[in-house]
Amino acid sequence: MRDYQYNYRNKRENKTKMTENIVEVKNLTKIYDEGDVLAVDDISLTLKKGEIFALLGPNGAGKTTTISMLATLLKPTKGTATVNSYNIDEDPDKVRKSIGVVFQEPSLDGDMKAEENLELHAILYGMSKSERREKIKEVLKLVNLDDKAEMYTKNYSGGMKRRLEIARGLIHNPQMLFLDEPTLGLDPQTRRKIWEKIKQLNEELKMTILITTHYMEEADVLADRICIMDHGKIIALDTSENLKHQLSGDIIEIELENVHNLSMIPQLISQLKEIKGIKDVKIGAKGDQGVADMTMNLPAGMKNMNPQMMQMIQQQMKEIMTDAKKFVRATKKFPMASNFFSRAPLEAKERVANLFKGNKDLLEELPKNMKETILKIQSGEYEEKQKNENPLLTISCENGAKQITEIIQKISNSDNLNIKSVQMHNPTLEDVFLFYTGREIREESSNNTEDVKKLIQMRQLRQNK
Amino acid sequence: MSRKVSSYVKIEGRMRWEAIWVLSKRELLAFVRNKTRIISSIAQALLFLFVFSGGFFSIDISIDGVDVSPMAFVASGIIAMAILFSGVFGGLGIIRDRMFGFMRELLVAPISRRTLMTGKTLGVALQSLLQCLIMAVISVAMGFFGYDPSLIWRIILLMPIALLFSLGVVGIGLTISTRLTDFQSFGLIQTFLIMPMFWLSGALFAFNSVPEIMQIIMMFNPISYGVDIFRYVILGVSFFPLWVNLLVLSAFAAILILIGANSFSNMQIS
Repeated sequence: MRDYQYNYRNKRENKTKMTENIVEVKNLTKIYDEGDVLAVDDISLTLKKGEIFALLGPNGAGKTTTISMLATLLKPTKGTATVNSYNIDEDPDKVRKSIGVVFQEPSLDGDMKAEENLELHAILYGMSKSERREKIKEVLKLVNLDDKAEMYTKNYSGGMKRRLEIARGLIHNPQMLFLDEPTLGLDPQTRRKIWEKIKQLNEELKMTILITTHYMEEADVLADRICIMDHGKIIALDTSENLKHQLSGDIIEIELENVHNLSMIPQLISQLKEIKGIKDVKIGAKGDQGVADMTMNLPAGMKNMNPQMMQMIQQQMKEIMTDAKKFVRATKKFPMASNFFSRAPLEAKERVANLFKGNKDLLEELPKNMKETILKIQSGEYEEKQKNENPLLTISCENGAKQITEIIQKISNSDNLNIKSVQMHNPTLEDVFLFYTGREIREESSNNTEDVKKLIQMRQLRQNK
Repeated sequence: MSRKVSSYVKIEGRMRWEAIWVLSKRELLAFVRNKTRIISSIAQALLFLFVFSGGFFSIDISIDGVDVSPMAFVASGIIAMAILFSGVFGGLGIIRDRMFGFMRELLVAPISRRTLMTGKTLGVALQSLLQCLIMAVISVAMGFFGYDPSLIWRIILLMPIALLFSLGVVGIGLTISTRLTDFQSFGLIQTFLIMPMFWLSGALFAFNSVPEIMQIIMMFNPISYGVDIFRYVILGVSFFPLWVNLLVLSAFAAILILIGANSFSNMQIS
């Protein structure tokens, strides 16, 4: 892996200076009417001729929407862009002819042979017979599928399909290529092959390539410049080297174990931040994000709420916690209540249990699992379930070797916190990503809509009080 | 991705004949290559032929005072049925294109939606024409219409009329398919649309042998006129005058194609 990156980086430095802009994006914004989703939020950027440009971001960050607007599939809500000096609003036809697009989802006709798929594409793009015959042979050779041209594409493997789609995108001699998640769902060997092809296209044909991905290493290996997107916004745009350089120094990761009281962790974080030379401390969990959520008493996906809203909710919670009747009413209106409750720290659970002391009637009205937990706490039988995942502190600091002793001292001074493992390394692109987005890559974008649903439920709760 | 539903940018402009032809060719190739589909549709038609013409042997059918053999009567209805079935289901093939992502490739291409729609419609229409021709040749070969040399040019004459008839039918399929997103609704369409249209078209029984209420319902079914004009061409007799049949079928094709083009133009892809 390392060698691979190294080779490419060397080659990259030999490139001639690129100045001409091939894509210019100005204040591009897209709002989906359905669900009022702000998918792309006022982005501006330029692509230089001959470069590989990566849009990196979690699912739902707005990468595909951006690429769809540039490929003139979607109309922007606001803003505009030029591709190959054609305006995407005024000349969609010309833009389409000058670009090749490979979609995230497969888009081949499985009931046609590979060659026929290409032929159909060439005709749709208005190529003459002699021209397309030659070109089809050429692109098939380029992706090493010339011996499989007569096969039905339904019998192709995932990697072959992807390669054929890239070939198809190249038939009409486009000046640039849009690749939307080109290696999604492919095995590592096939991914490597696709990367090689992409590199080859860039180097031999001087093709400008815009690629979206959520794989860090893909952006790192391929791209001349990387644009990190999240929530429809550009949060960083630079070369991979420069991005990593911004996080100079070291990254120390400390895994804690046997943490019984998670509410101690925020306190520890603020203590650690006071140490000289420490730039940032973030908390996550090994393998799961649950721990970070629990410390905030919020379910997953809600960390991006604005502080005011957060304060209001917390105040709301405090009020509910003072009166058993209010608490019961809240659990009825808010279906997520028992989920919240099970995630709450022991301290909070005990407080709720106290609330219901000598109040058996009201207790009966609570959801079943909440009732059982409270009864257990009251009788002293309750034990917090051992969580599989351990809290993980990610600390970025100027000089790891110097500061690590102090950090470890601080942690061992706090009660009940044991260190399981300590790791120190140079920043990777993943660290850069985490630094900017403040979280792990989300696997599903549906969290967003769930967040909205929860927010609406919260609002109703507030109004009905 | 599912929430990212939004109308796509459409390319305006001329129709491109080469593009239309390659899209039609794709439909034809899909039909010719799918042997199970050809065999099953022929088997179904033959089943109908034997069961219904067998049941009708004892009944005298007369159209316009001319006696018609039950075999010939049912066979001509079944040939018309081939158009209905393959036309609607061919139009529904768009759902497949959308589900397997191929529609996206078509929508990014620098061709107008009209070109796309025309190519698709023509392709499916030719597909059902082919199936209709197969049925006609089998029926003639089996002697359902007797052995008469004039049948050759009758079958040839049938083709342009079958094309007109199939345009309207394909329009039904296209209109439905641009609004559906999955295959689950296929059964519903079969039960509540295609079957009633088929049973109430007079393909299997004579128009003048049923109660008046049913006759009125049948008169509102455009498929009845398609079946009737097929009888006119093949057998030389019909319930409705030729000009009524032609008028209704032309209007049916024009209206359905317009509706189909409109829903195709507003089609959304998730």
